[in-house]
Amino acid sequence: MNDRVDLPQAREVCPTTTRRLIGDGALLVDVRERAEVAQVAFDVPDLVVMPLSEFEQRFAELPRDRELVMVCQSGPRSLKATYFLMYQGYTRVANMEGGINKWASKGFPIKGVRAGASTPAAVSSCCGTAAPAAASATSCCAPGPGASAAAGACCSPAVAGSGSCC
Amino acid sequence: MDIKVLGTGCANCKATIALIDQIAKAKGVAVTLEKVEELRDIMGYGVMSTPGVVIDGKVVHAGGVPSRDKIEHWLSA
Repeated sequence: MNDRVDLPQAREVCPTTTRRLIGDGALLVDVRERAEVAQVAFDVPDLVVMPLSEFEQRFAELPRDRELVMVCQSGPRSLKATYFLMYQGYTRVANMEGGINKWASKGFPIKGVRAGASTPAAVSSCCGTAAPAAASATSCCAPGPGASAAAGACCSPAVAGSGSCC
Repeated sequence: MDIKVLGTGCANCKATIALIDQIAKAKGVAVTLEKVEELRDIMGYGVMSTPGVVIDGKVVHAGGVPSRDKIEHWLSA
């Protein structure tokens, strides 16, 4: 089976640096499980969802010639994935510390609503009022010219079922 | 025989160490058992699923507590 490799310390970046790296062409790789991603996801144009449970089988799909930033809920799982990629010879890989929790707490864009979180992103979502669920859902989720992708995500059945804003 | 158990301190990792220790003593095999708990050191073996078991530098197992039969086989090799 595997041989031992003396890995250097993984490179860790904060959400602010991550945004800059994305702007420079980095690919965000979310290693959370699909159910977690369905609840709340990074709202960035280019993202790969590769749950840790599938990671060993699928990691080769990730490009080696592009900067990769690994993300999860709070950081430990993506750190593991970062080291795994380093073991596999990837050199352009970093872990985003704090995961989507820290990302959202900075007010950076997300789709959906974090459970129990009162973040700038959550407050600015489509259903910012404490209106009754049904009324809120019909008022903010009706398709129309003003409906954004974020609004659609916020009001998806999965999110609504969890007792979120919609 | 140098045996390392890779794991960040989960219950299965502790159970793996205890089982190897127990079987080694029962068989009278001299082993050096070591826990590897640092993520970077664990990942240095390319193991995603823990516990992992390394014998004399080679990964022989990853994911879940190894069976008694498997451990006995390692110790008789």
